[in-house]
Amino acid sequence: MIKEKIDYPYLEKPISLYTLDNGHKIAIAYKKGEMANISTWVKTGSINEDETNNGVSHFLEHLMFKGTKQFKPGEFDKILERKGGIINAATWKDYTFYYVTIEKKHIDLAIKMHADMMVDPTLSEEEIGPAFDPEGEAPEEKRERYVVIEEIKMGEDNDWRKVYEITNDAMYENHPYKRKVIGTKQIIATIPQKDIMSYYKTFYTPDNISTIVVGEFDNEEEILNKVIENFKFKTDKKAPIKKNELEIKMKKPKYVEKTSETNTGYIMFGFLTDTSKNLKESIALNLLVSILGGSRTSRLNSKYIEQVDEPHYNSIDTCYYQFREGNNFFIEANFDPKYKETVIEEIKAELKNLNEITEEELKRAKKRVLVEFVESAETVSDIADSIGHYLTVCEDLSYAKKYETTLENITKKYLEEIAQEYLNENNCAIGVVMPKGEN
Amino acid sequence: MKHIKNEGLEIVVKNNPKTPRSAICCVFSIDTPTELSGVSNLTSRLLLRGTNKRTAEELSLELQDNGIELSTESKRDYLKIDTVFLNQDFDLAVEILEDIIKNSTFKELDKEIFKLKAEIPAVLDSSTSKLSDSFTRTIFKNHHYENSVTKTLEDIDKIDSKIVNEFWGTMLNSKKVIVAVGDFEDEEKISNELNKKFAFLNKYTEKTKIEDIKNLKESKVVKIEKNSANQAHVIQGWITDSINTEDYPKIIVMNNLMGSSGLSSRLFYELRDKQGLAYTVRSSYEALRHAGVISFYIGTTPNNIRKSLDGFRTEIEKLQNNLPTEEELQGAKENVLGRLAYFSQTNEQQAHSICRDIILGRPLDFKERYTEMINSVTREDLSEMAKKYLSGNDVIAVIAPSDYLEF
Repeated sequence: MIKEKIDYPYLEKPISLYTLDNGHKIAIAYKKGEMANISTWVKTGSINEDETNNGVSHFLEHLMFKGTKQFKPGEFDKILERKGGIINAATWKDYTFYYVTIEKKHIDLAIKMHADMMVDPTLSEEEIGPAFDPEGEAPEEKRERYVVIEEIKMGEDNDWRKVYEITNDAMYENHPYKRKVIGTKQIIATIPQKDIMSYYKTFYTPDNISTIVVGEFDNEEEILNKVIENFKFKTDKKAPIKKNELEIKMKKPKYVEKTSETNTGYIMFGFLTDTSKNLKESIALNLLVSILGGSRTSRLNSKYIEQVDEPHYNSIDTCYYQFREGNNFFIEANFDPKYKETVIEEIKAELKNLNEITEEELKRAKKRVLVEFVESAETVSDIADSIGHYLTVCEDLSYAKKYETTLENITKKYLEEIAQEYLNENNCAIGVVMPKGEN
Repeated sequence: MKHIKNEGLEIVVKNNPKTPRSAICCVFSIDTPTELSGVSNLTSRLLLRGTNKRTAEELSLELQDNGIELSTESKRDYLKIDTVFLNQDFDLAVEILEDIIKNSTFKELDKEIFKLKAEIPAVLDSSTSKLSDSFTRTIFKNHHYENSVTKTLEDIDKIDSKIVNEFWGTMLNSKKVIVAVGDFEDEEKISNELNKKFAFLNKYTEKTKIEDIKNLKESKVVKIEKNSANQAHVIQGWITDSINTEDYPKIIVMNNLMGSSGLSSRLFYELRDKQGLAYTVRSSYEALRHAGVISFYIGTTPNNIRKSLDGFRTEIEKLQNNLPTEEELQGAKENVLGRLAYFSQTNEQQAHSICRDIILGRPLDFKERYTEMINSVTREDLSEMAKKYLSGNDVIAVIAPSDYLEF
């Protein structure tokens, strides 16, 4: 076992990071207060899927709650929620994570049940439910397949989700990030139990898993031992390392438009950038999020909403997602559909204007990014999420320590170069959802 | 914790050592609501749109330069101003708060009206927002709680600066609370400072004249057509007694057991886990000063609307006719208290929670009393609450493709 102490901004004590002989990583962080959190991040998501099993990572996430040999389906939720626990999970492109936030007096129980769920899920046929044709008659017995299909339908009715999905699809040629994380109705309705179990056995291996415990613990070693004792992995084999061809910048611009039963228009500009390993560039792009669209004083908001008497935008925002195999930068807006062409031209013009950034803008953006960093250390769940992100997406917890100094050293010139390199209308995808009859 | 109680303004300061950001929450009781929907919302938005000292742009830049978050929100019972800031910026945050309360000009009303009118159709693009809007208007009909986005669209052109200024005048003369939570070693010094700075808020002439909503006179079904929808959304709700009544903790625990505990509530287990009818199914309890509403919600395939409503009915009858087990009752209580702890972690959450308690007429030690109130709920109470509130007149609101609206 290897032990490292890693300084982490705004925490009272450094984080202890243990790497066990089987590769399982365990991070323990100290945070004063009544609440504690245990979470486990598995380094798999839609990145490890293909056309035949798209959606399996997310479907498996649902099924992990459906019982183990020790606890029947429903008991995990019932027992922990009856102790006041908040439990859930989420699946994204690079990872799937599971968490319990609970008063620290119940942390032993949470560790025990959480570990059991992670290493011994039953994934039973009964809980999965029979395969069926999603376009045909609904099955008599509606089990978890049907629940996930309801979740897919819910997403299909969401206009922001629609515009994100068409933009994301247009941004990639072949990379697995092109696919929807939630998968397709056809695959969820028919994927056999043995394929789900095989996926679990392939990727839920100790070397592919990080467990994080956050709380006010007097005896850290005791917590560590409890995690080790309870994570009784049935295998010590390693998860396969799949190398996809990186798509860092789009080769040519793309435009995709769809209609929907809406009152307003939705638009996204999507850009591909370097991987999450590039900390300096990631921070620079976070600063550009702030300068371009992240607040009332940002360029887009200030010019097109705040300083206009009758704006044609209802909202305009920017966001940035980090991924192991290439990050995404988005500009998104909701607008009066009469102004579609104007909106596109205005956003393109603002991209060109990023060749000049003022020192004032840089200073303001740095302050904002710094405050967001402080904010991410306020609750046990926020701290666990940040640690999980650094360990799983950046694959380096020391990035947290380097963050502030790297941020401080970013210059106006570097920011302008990054903006010119990536945020260019010639390498972006534009997705638009318009009201029916207005396109 | 330090508490100063004036006639129109109460101030509380709480020290949470070693927290890098502090929070101040300020609430104004809505005791004299206007008949027009949207006035309170517009007023809260305009508080961020410039003062005699700062233009809207100057205000935004100053906040951004100093990493200060400032937000306003109009709730049904009160108007709220929140600020969160790094500890070293305390003086500036307080000065800005004082400035927007004392010196807001409300000059940009026409612009805010234009923006709000454009934003509402975007809100109504979402099926659940549209449904929730109709549900609210129906269940709170003829009370100011019915104010909603569609009602605002109907009323907004009647709103002028005289109405907004008069409304803000009533807010300044209503009951107010300011709560600061952060790394304040000397609570007394900070509370005295705030008391001096905000002494102009001590006036209290606007005592409430609002009547409680006792019950629904008749059941109503609201059907909204959305032909492109893949899912139907269903809300069924009932009026309950208001927040400061003896039923409040009992309804809290009943709501938790029925559908708000997360993944293990009765509705979740029966309708999602066992019957696979939905991804989202839950119950909610909104406790207000003049009424409460308990409601059940499900998002489901359109041909499951009837089955879902029957599922709600089955769970209601089960609780009405059978006492929950002691284990289930204890679990619901622990879940309620655990959630309270979860949602009280940040200084901002704590400041708002204390503000809300005081403005709703609760004592300063309400959090401790709340634990006692929850722990004293019995199994019999839950069945009694289900009989008392979940069997009378109700409102059912459904949004779905037209072919599925005959259920």
